[in-house]
Amino acid sequence: MSRALGRAGLLLGLPVILLVTWWFASAGSKSFYQPPLETIIKVFPATWTAARFRSDVLPSLGRLFLGYGLAVLLGIVLGVLIGAHRRLRALVEPLLEFLRAIPPPVLVPILILVAGLGDPTKVLVIVSGGIWPVLLNTVEGVRGVDQVLADTCRTYRICGWLRMRTFILRAASPQIVVGARQALSISIIMMVIGELLGATNGLGYTVVQFQRGFEIPEMWSGVFVLGLLGVLLSLAFTLVERRVLSWYHGVRAAERSGR
Amino acid sequence: MLRTRFIALLAVTALAATTSACGSDDSSDAAPATGGADKVKVGVIPIVDVAPIYLGKAKGFFTKQNVDLSLEQAQGGAAIVPAVVSGQYQFGFSNVVSLMIGQSKNVPIKAVANGNNATADAAKDFSGLLVKDSAITRPKDLEGKTVASNTLKNIVDTSVKDLVRKDGGDPSKVKFVEIAFPDMAAALDANRVQAIFVVEPFLTSAKAKGWKQIGSFAAVSPSLQVAAYFTSQQLLGEKADLVKRFSAAMKESLAYADAHPDEVRQIVTTYTTIKAEAAAAMTLPKFAPDMDKTSLDTMSNLLVQEGLLAAPADTAKLFQ
Amino acid sequence: MTTPRVARRRAGDNPALLGLVGILAFAALLEVLPRAGVLPAEYLPPTSRIVSALLDEFGRGSFWQAVGGTITTWLLGLVIAVVAGIVLGIVIGSVPALRLATASTVEFLRPIPSVALLPLAVVLFSAPIRSILLLVVYASFWPVLIQVLHGVTDIDPVARETALSYRLDRWRRARYLVWPTTLPYVMTGIRLAASVALVLTITGELLIGGTKGIGERIAVAQSSITVPSMYALIVVSGLIGVLANVATRRAERLVLAWHPAVRREFPL
Repeated sequence: MSRALGRAGLLLGLPVILLVTWWFASAGSKSFYQPPLETIIKVFPATWTAARFRSDVLPSLGRLFLGYGLAVLLGIVLGVLIGAHRRLRALVEPLLEFLRAIPPPVLVPILILVAGLGDPTKVLVIVSGGIWPVLLNTVEGVRGVDQVLADTCRTYRICGWLRMRTFILRAASPQIVVGARQALSISIIMMVIGELLGATNGLGYTVVQFQRGFEIPEMWSGVFVLGLLGVLLSLAFTLVERRVLSWYHGVRAAERSGR
Repeated sequence: MLRTRFIALLAVTALAATTSACGSDDSSDAAPATGGADKVKVGVIPIVDVAPIYLGKAKGFFTKQNVDLSLEQAQGGAAIVPAVVSGQYQFGFSNVVSLMIGQSKNVPIKAVANGNNATADAAKDFSGLLVKDSAITRPKDLEGKTVASNTLKNIVDTSVKDLVRKDGGDPSKVKFVEIAFPDMAAALDANRVQAIFVVEPFLTSAKAKGWKQIGSFAAVSPSLQVAAYFTSQQLLGEKADLVKRFSAAMKESLAYADAHPDEVRQIVTTYTTIKAEAAAAMTLPKFAPDMDKTSLDTMSNLLVQEGLLAAPADTAKLFQ
Repeated sequence: MTTPRVARRRAGDNPALLGLVGILAFAALLEVLPRAGVLPAEYLPPTSRIVSALLDEFGRGSFWQAVGGTITTWLLGLVIAVVAGIVLGIVIGSVPALRLATASTVEFLRPIPSVALLPLAVVLFSAPIRSILLLVVYASFWPVLIQVLHGVTDIDPVARETALSYRLDRWRRARYLVWPTTLPYVMTGIRLAASVALVLTITGELLIGGTKGIGERIAVAQSSITVPSMYALIVVSGLIGVLANVATRRAERLVLAWHPAVRREFPL
């Protein structure tokens, strides 16, 4: 019981300290763009009403989940292919690096032509940003599989899907999971970027609209919502990760307790 | 937040030496330069509308007022207002609607010179509402259609709504989506929207495709004031004299630009990459030396009507 | 995967050459599609026109100044983000209590987009380059931190047991156990951060301006309807990304020569 309390204290300690510090540091702030935390909290309930959640947050979440899911799926599939085939990797790596370094905002006209102004474009923007950490980590994870295990697999003539599932994906999964975690927050950012284009609703659209309308406390309250979304999704992610990587955490935990 | 500040702090301390050694951008305060002239940075957008300030600089109108001008380009207004409020820039260029909305939210800014105006001729303005579909012939026909606006809840969609209303239509039936000026032609070409509202140089290039014009800023109100140069209340309080000299130089530049369209077309090619022949074909905005109180009040009333302002803007206070 | 791991180096096996083939094939595709009318050439010009616009840019002094400016901002931001990410990542990652205490804060701050921080970044500093740097560092710091955090916990149990039985002290454990395990994660973190930093540098220049970088030139090209030059500048951004990757791969080969991922391809 006391352990759980200690854990909760550790989890909540820093955010509480930061918020309190922010509260006092910003109290009475006259700077237009750095309003007191008190003001931000005051506008929060009136800004993020149930109606707004339905009209702006929910559509954003739908696009986010779809885009993120596609990014992870594509990232793993392409990553395994590229990671496992040396020549394919040599062939596409410079090209991928080239594409990775292109700022998404400048691709807007092409996206309009190819995918229009609706949800497909916004999902595409999320995929275009979220795929890279998954892809890169998967490639590196697959490249870095243990040689001894690879040889063992060959000796036992384990190949095909069985080899992929029991060896390659499993060996690469710790790194794939890092990539998927990275992609989560990047997807939220890309969700906001995507809503700058041809959008009429959405969480990111709302935040930017507040900024343009000089409603700075409301804008900061929107930043809060984005941050909270990040925390919630990361909690959900941790739960999924514990299931998917239970064997891995098991190994590492056994090692820790055995110390 | 605090983390941000902390990282910011980290960044500053780590970079203080390096960046000042690079030395390109460090002397940003409006401190008197060696020659006694006030160094002034102005945040502008690389478009035709700001030609007078470039022309005035080239003509020495600012030097004459002891103002050492440097012009900083940004893509849109997003960064210019905070930059002026914080003193990164001393002056900035912005459309009048953003300034009015800013005033209503107590942003400490004040317009100090005219920016540019629509022309007197609704059919031949530097801006235009364009359609591709020949079935759409007038603003009223836009009911149920989608129109591209560079930003939402700002000057362009407010103007289009006014045109629809004046034509007997219901502006609430028009749908707006946000697309930047440079990307609008692509959207209309691909039939993603049914109408676009563009300014020069996009207007001439879009009209060349045979698209029809059914409205403009000038149709909202002839000589409608579209933009203004503004400064922060702080600078106004501390260096009222500098602001006065900037305004005077700006006024002279605007008058000169309006009287010398050929020089405007020439100077545009120096700070953008617009080709000389394209510059020659453009319709230039009107550059009135003074702000246009009547059209500002018109716009302010439209904003109240659209619910973007709770009460009419105090244009007398905001725009001198 | 089925070929023996011993590198067989034939003429067609040269990775640099293959990479060039990949890029050229992509360029050829983008030449053909607009010409065939699949994509409108007006908004997406064929490669040849982009290349000729790029060559025009090469001839301008101001272009090289812009490239220099962008690379300076980018490298500065990247170095700060990488150093801060590695140091904080190792410190936080090695102390479970710290890790637990910072977890929610990190997850809160990570998804905050730079567009939302733009006004704050502009207000905090008097020089535009610092506002841009803040955005660059903020965005590229998190990928490094997260990679390092995960890397630190990925230590092989057997290796740790071994280190403990040999009674390696804290410093040596960090040097011979933690660091080698973390390094592959760090390298991926740097590669991720490099492109994020580049994207943010150019976006920052585009939105804030005032540093005469590539982003500012893109803004000008956009508003002047010079579509080929706009794409030429975007290509420059992509090329910087490719060069950054070549550099990190080189570094990787030096510092990770022992790692299976590298060893397999570049036999010692």
